[in-house]
Parts: sequence; C-alpha cells; structure tokens
Amino acid sequence: MNAFKTSSTAFCFDLDGTLTTTEILPCIAAELGVSGEVATLTKLTMDGLIPFEDSMRLRTLILGQVPLAQVHEIIASVPMAPSLLEFMQSHSNNCFVVTGNLDIWIAPLIAQLGCGVFSSRAVLTDAGMVRLDAILAKDEAIQTLRTTGRFDRIVAVGDGANDAPMLRAADIGIAYGGVHPPAASAMQAAHMVINDAETLCKLLKAL
Amino acid sequence: MQVVEGAVIACAGLGSRLGMGMPKCMIELGGKTVLSRLIEDLRPLVPRIHVVVGYREELIVAHCAQHHRDVVIVRNPDFRMTNTAHSIRLGSMGMQSKVLYLDGDLIIDPTSLRNFVMRGAEVPLLIGVTRAKSSQAVFVTVPDTNIAQCMAVDAFQRDPATLWEWANVFVGSPALLKPGSRYVYECIEPFLPAAAQIIDLYEVDTPEDLEQAKAWIQQNE
Repeated sequence: MNAFKTSSTAFCFDLDGTLTTTEILPCIAAELGVSGEVATLTKLTMDGLIPFEDSMRLRTLILGQVPLAQVHEIIASVPMAPSLLEFMQSHSNNCFVVTGNLDIWIAPLIAQLGCGVFSSRAVLTDAGMVRLDAILAKDEAIQTLRTTGRFDRIVAVGDGANDAPMLRAADIGIAYGGVHPPAASAMQAAHMVINDAETLCKLLKAL
Repeated sequence: MQVVEGAVIACAGLGSRLGMGMPKCMIELGGKTVLSRLIEDLRPLVPRIHVVVGYREELIVAHCAQHHRDVVIVRNPDFRMTNTAHSIRLGSMGMQSKVLYLDGDLIIDPTSLRNFVMRGAEVPLLIGVTRAKSSQAVFVTVPDTNIAQCMAVDAFQRDPATLWEWANVFVGSPALLKPGSRYVYECIEPFLPAAAQIIDLYEVDTPEDLEQAKAWIQQNE
C-alpha cells in the first residue's frame, strides 16, 4: 500500500512565527546589525501594510548579504514549538511547510523535519548574491496540493496577513496565536483561532 | 460508559434581549465573566473546550487569548443568519463521540455541572432540566416518577407551562446535530424520551434574569 494513502488529510504550516517561536528573518538581520530595521519591516508586513512580495524582495536584498552557511546555522538555532515539531515528524507524509521564506535558506530545516515544502525560490549567483526567482503565493500551494488528488481535506495553520489566502483556500483554516496574536486578516479568513501549541496538536490529532 | 471528550460552549449569539452591546458570556458577575466561570469549572471535567464565537467575536477572542489560552475558538461568521444549532455543529469540529453542549450565557452551580458530566458518561443522551424560571422557557414534560436518578424527558413544549424547563445543556453525540434544525432542542427531539438530570443554573437572557443571577451568585459565594 502506498504510504501516502494512510491518511487523507494534509496539514500545512506557516514557518515564521507559527512553527518557529521567533521570527527567522530578524535573527538573520541581527548578523548584519540591522535587526531593528528588519523587525519593523516584518511587523509592517505581518500587519498587511506592505504587500508581502515587496517586503520579501526588500528583506532578501538586505539579508542576502549574509553568507548562506551562516544563514543555515542561524535557522538551525531558531527555537521551534516541541509539540508541533513532534506532530510534524510523526506525520511527515502529510505535513507541509508553506512559507514565503527562501528555499535555499530553509533547505536544512526542511530536511530535518522530513516533511514537504512550498516556499519562495531563489538562487545564489556566481557573485554570491541571492537572486529571488519566485515568491510563493500561499493559496496556490493549497491549490497545487489539491490537484495532486492525494488528500480529501486540507488543514492550514498560520498567523500572518500573508497566510490569510492559504487559510481561506484550506478546508479548515486555523489562525494561530501561539507566538504572537494572529493578524486580523488571518483571523477573518480562519475557521478557528488557537493560541497554544499543545491545544493545536490535540485538535489536529482529533480532526 | 463513554467519557465526555469535550465541551462546546455556544457564544455566537446577539443577546439582543439583554441589550448590553456585548456577547452575554462577556458579562461580568462578581468580577468574573460568565464565560470564565464556565471555562474554569469545565477545565477539570473535560479534556478539550471549544468556544463558538460570532457577534463581537473580537471581544471573546481577546479575552481567551489573555485568560484561557488552551481553548479552541471556532468562528461562526454567519451568526446573524444562523442559530445556536448551527453554531454548535461548527463547534463540534474535531469532536467524535460524546460532547457536553451548553450555552455561554449560563451560570451553573459547579457541583451540579460536575454531576451532570459524570452522569453524561453513563447514558447515550443526557438532557439538562432546571426549575422553570426564565421568561421565555421551553418547558419539558417529565414522567410522574420524579426521582432524580431515573428522571427522563418525554417532550419539549412552549405551552402549556410545566414545573421544569430545558436548561440549554446536554451531553450527546455530535452525530445528533443534523443540519436544518432551528433550535438545539429540536436536534434532540427525535431521540425522546431520553435521560434527564436536574442542573442548577441561571440563564442570562433579560435584565431580570441578570438581577436574579447576581443575587444567586452572591448567595452562593
């Protein structure tokens, strides 16, 4: 029997501020001594005041100066909610990270989780610059998952304004406030609001 | 014996008869909201609590984010067009077997609530009844044998009045909640007669109810 057929529900998680208990990009920014500036940019983006795409281009431009190996090291040290981590590792066939973050930055983390991923795409140029090729629209990730036909139902969990389209496109959208209060737009798009990692895992297991 | 896996508290309604401009569960009595009283008393009795929100949901969401971070909030954005039966159906997402359903505007005696949940584990369907006292009661008819242990509900009726009314509390399977019913008691009506138990509570529907409830809390605390 195909291992993918054991469960018919897909679980999609935002990365920054949902799976991780701190935002990743400000951590990278700290390397350059511009964490305050990038945190401001992140906040404006979370609140939906700057389009996610514009913000991601700006942040990539700034943070692309940090060597890739160093970015990997930083991301590896970003704390994650243990219960969510355990849920993902024990359901790796039907869990997906859905993030605007860059594939080249988060690759080692995804390998560690062993789950699927939808992310923005970038390449490292010969000059050592990060070139952003495609920014992920999170609702398209849900549509892509649907067209695979592997799942009868898609559950999505996220906290930011850029998660709202994903929460709306999912069968069950959960606005997550475990790290900080979810953006108003994420909440408006969601079926449920959950503020605690343990409570979230208990519900996901019961669905 | 089937343990009660969770509670679904319906807080989505307008509470228009009380006219306080906020969900009825957010009314403070003795320095504590009606919702906080329910959640704190339910916490040791059931492993999971779902709170269904609609009207002025932001107030309840913020209140739970501050005081009750381990509840699941379920949104009913269509609360103006739907009713409590729809809300508790939404609230049952992720509940499979046996659930305590109750309105968020109830002030319940904690011992009475605990006894109700324990008894609910023993029968397939347990209906909460209380001494008729609210202004727009749905009365229940009970057989003559008025012994608490074997009490049962035969029928729900608006009229004529009886000594007992539907308490807006029951323990049962989420599968009972078929779409289309207007009121919660209509969902369980096809399954009558069913076991009943007296539950000591106040419902806060009107300003008069509120005054009675306040007096009752002062008397009990």
